[in-house]
Amino acid sequence: MAEKPITPGKNAPQVGMAYQIPRNSLALLMISQVVVILPLAVYITPWIIGVGLFSGYWRTQVYRGRWGYPAGWVKAVLVFAGVFGIALSGYGTFSLEAATSLLVLAFALKLLEMKTRRDAYLIIFLSYFLIATAFLFDQAITMAAYQVLAAVIITAAMVGMNQLQSRVRPLASIKLAAALIFQALPLTLVLFLLFPRIAPLWSIPMPSSSTTGISDTIKPGDVANLTMSNELAFRVVFEDEVPPARELYWRGLVYSEFDQGTWTVGRPLPPKATPPAAVGPGIGYEVFLEPTQAEWLFSLDTPVDYGPRLKMLGDYRLINPESILSVKRYRLVSDPQYTQDPQLHGLLERRETRLPDEDNPRIREYAKALLADTGSPTAMVEAMLAQIRNRDYVYTLQPPTLNNENSIDEFWFDTRRGFCSHYAGAMVFALRAADIPARMVGGYQGGEVNPRTGHVEVRQYLAHAWVEVWIESAGWTRVDPTAAVAPARVENGLNAALSGEDRAALSFLTNARLGEGDLLSNALQFFDSVEHRWNFWVVGYDAASQSSVLQKLLGEVTPARIGLALAIGGGVSMFLVALTLFWRRRPTQRNPAERKFFKFASAMARQGYARAPDETPAAYLHRLAVKAELDPQPMVQRLQSFMYDPQASLSEVERRQMRQDFRKLRFRLAFSTPGKAS
Amino acid sequence: MNAFSKSASARNDPAKTAPPFSGKRFGAWLDRRIPPSARINLSQANIFIFPTRSGFAFAGLLLMLILGAINYQNSLVYGTAFLLGSMFVITILYTFRNLSGLSIEMAERHSGFVGEHIEFSVRVERPKGRGREGIQIGWPNGYKQWVEIYDTQASVVSLYVTAERRGWLHPGRMLVETYFPLGLLRAWTWVDINARGLVYPKPLFSDSPQSHSSKHRDEGVLIDPLGSDDFVDLRGYVPGDPIRNILWRSYARSDELVVKRYASYQEPRLWFDFDQLSGDVEEKLSRLTGFALTATRSEQEFGLRLPQKEIAPGLGQLHLDQVLRELALYGHSEAEQPNNG
Repeated sequence: MAEKPITPGKNAPQVGMAYQIPRNSLALLMISQVVVILPLAVYITPWIIGVGLFSGYWRTQVYRGRWGYPAGWVKAVLVFAGVFGIALSGYGTFSLEAATSLLVLAFALKLLEMKTRRDAYLIIFLSYFLIATAFLFDQAITMAAYQVLAAVIITAAMVGMNQLQSRVRPLASIKLAAALIFQALPLTLVLFLLFPRIAPLWSIPMPSSSTTGISDTIKPGDVANLTMSNELAFRVVFEDEVPPARELYWRGLVYSEFDQGTWTVGRPLPPKATPPAAVGPGIGYEVFLEPTQAEWLFSLDTPVDYGPRLKMLGDYRLINPESILSVKRYRLVSDPQYTQDPQLHGLLERRETRLPDEDNPRIREYAKALLADTGSPTAMVEAMLAQIRNRDYVYTLQPPTLNNENSIDEFWFDTRRGFCSHYAGAMVFALRAADIPARMVGGYQGGEVNPRTGHVEVRQYLAHAWVEVWIESAGWTRVDPTAAVAPARVENGLNAALSGEDRAALSFLTNARLGEGDLLSNALQFFDSVEHRWNFWVVGYDAASQSSVLQKLLGEVTPARIGLALAIGGGVSMFLVALTLFWRRRPTQRNPAERKFFKFASAMARQGYARAPDETPAAYLHRLAVKAELDPQPMVQRLQSFMYDPQASLSEVERRQMRQDFRKLRFRLAFSTPGKAS
Repeated sequence: MNAFSKSASARNDPAKTAPPFSGKRFGAWLDRRIPPSARINLSQANIFIFPTRSGFAFAGLLLMLILGAINYQNSLVYGTAFLLGSMFVITILYTFRNLSGLSIEMAERHSGFVGEHIEFSVRVERPKGRGREGIQIGWPNGYKQWVEIYDTQASVVSLYVTAERRGWLHPGRMLVETYFPLGLLRAWTWVDINARGLVYPKPLFSDSPQSHSSKHRDEGVLIDPLGSDDFVDLRGYVPGDPIRNILWRSYARSDELVVKRYASYQEPRLWFDFDQLSGDVEEKLSRLTGFALTATRSEQEFGLRLPQKEIAPGLGQLHLDQVLRELALYGHSEAEQPNNG
């Protein structure tokens, strides 16, 4: 007898003695710990992984009954090691990585003192929370599938705590958990579609990991590094035809300052109050930007229509209010005919012609002479392009190293080997040296159409830098010196511009993507189209796409209609689950002989020999046999032994005999009139 | 219909955990809602369901996830929150179904002494279909027990309730609850299956039964007039009398055959008399209980004399049961006697 009487409704399902977490759910909890931390491992401090593995091992030993629970000082050392590790990791105090590391640390240590039911539930809830945390770093479809499995394991641990206590049945727990999650899917879908998406409520810790893709400074060699990567930068869905690749200049950043061989964005220009007014027909497209951890967005030419939350800076590039941490979806209309800054006011002109005082003397001299020679900025640009085209300039991803001090001189006059940012940098420098406003623009050039879904993929190896020069009345005009040295790069994509040497330096997958028509590139295209659909329907499902989807579904988006849709959708999905739970199939009570008999009886009824309500099967058969002038005795006997002894009815020979009886009766009676018997 | 007054009497003892229906109004409401009955079928009419503390914590987690999803504009965090939320909603059906359709009835009634745990056997039966798991039943002042009806259609569970006072023990409404499948929701009900057990006074074995009983030889009962224990008188010989009883000396004097007569008397029978004991009522009853048990163990016949009632001497389990029953119910009004069985 236990000591404590129950307090109804208060205590957990436990009987008197000290509570023990059921062993099967304990095992599942330890498995789920590994499963949940694994995808986070690359983002958090490695120390935490060590602490987590150590705690996990200790807990396993406790589970196996070999060790006891750790003493207080052991836990203190572990806490200290973990916090020390996070402090050493160099993540910002309020960065997402530091927060995640702390969470994982707490999670791992909690495992060490998991004894009560409450502890177990805390671990379970933390596990769910870590699933969501992993989505902050990665929202790929593979990650989602993995985390659904993780959720099944965690849920199974929770099921195990409330299941039948007399037997350990981990498989039953997992099965039930999987069923629960599967049955929750319809309702999840309804909520996902209808739950109103609203704007962020407050600012949040950001991942401190450096930006991916184009950055806001360009050092010599940066773009070439990007070119080595075949990671996706963004996908674009054009509303109409896809423009030719040579026109796809995706502007992302504008570099206005040059110092020590490095181009930087400089202080951002004030945002424009209203979008530029469209001049000609626009190009409508929707971009699915992969997380960059930065605010800038990529656009074609001059965007004239963009979402209300986006800002356009003075240099016509678009800025998102927050860093882009998950796939960002935005729709734009760009107008290629729009003239950017037909008039350039003095302040901006000074900004876009400024150069450091001393360096690169040769090209300064060259530029002044060239302008004097040619007479106009346009002509000077043409002359420089002609020089690139005609002299022995080479496009290569592996240029010789330049020293920082006079790198542009060195490139332009000596090495003459480089890629887009070398050419663009030299040109902007020369133009500025001649007092012509010019700036370098960074972004991507080109894009590959995926034939399966028709969207355009832009990958990191399409990173590009080009020049915008300001020309009186024409405004900012795009000039791409790379097109002069390697026309194929712009016309036919990167592949055509690369030498064999360059290609050897690229990764296997990049080469595969650049290749055409072979099996691997087909497969890659397929996966990409799957991923695109995932981004389109799930990851990129935001307030804007929700309102357009709801418009189609409901006709008109009002709170009342959304509420009604929620009620109907929720009701239907709950009804489906209730159906599987409560609807019991009527057990087949009739044995085969009975089924045969009832089939026979209804056939006879159609012939006019219905069975009277009070007639037993035996009496009925007897009556029919007499009517058919057959010996009723053996038939009735057979029927009775079949119906009341189901085991006998399994005999094939006897069943056939009974069928023959029935057939005989039907045949005989088919030609006689029912008469009074019925 | 006096189930509530029974449970109310149980709550008079402050040492006990008050059952949650101790409020008079709630008790009356519960009596209307789930009337006491020997067999109760659980359905939506009598099953309650509400989130547990873990359930509320889970809801807090969902709220945090939604806030995170809003602030990070992250569709998959939304998705996680929705999936977990949907699962939570679906388990309402699971938890409810786990109790729904069960029928509960009293299987066997037992008795015991004050201070003991009185056993009640409760039979729980489930309809055909998927098995039920993680169900517990118990009385507020007893201990909860698991009901194992996953593989079987029905199961008999023994519950023990501590007996604190003699008389009829009415454990009152029994709790039937489940946290299945996730422990986030609790489905429960309070059923009154007319359970009652008889509680005898706590026996006191301080002194021997003889010392306080009236024990007089002349109150003995003649059981065999031709016994051989005690001399009674002399009478003339009748053929068939044992020869060894003939008083030969008298025959020598008077030439008349005279036989000595003997008779057998029963061992002194015990009468346990309430009024001859000292102490307060409960103490007297306890000592009488002790006497009855001791006498039965040593196979001595005994009778019981209570102020209002007398039980003729007897021996055996039935007799003991009768005596103990009288002792248990001494001073209790007839109204509290069971009205059925």
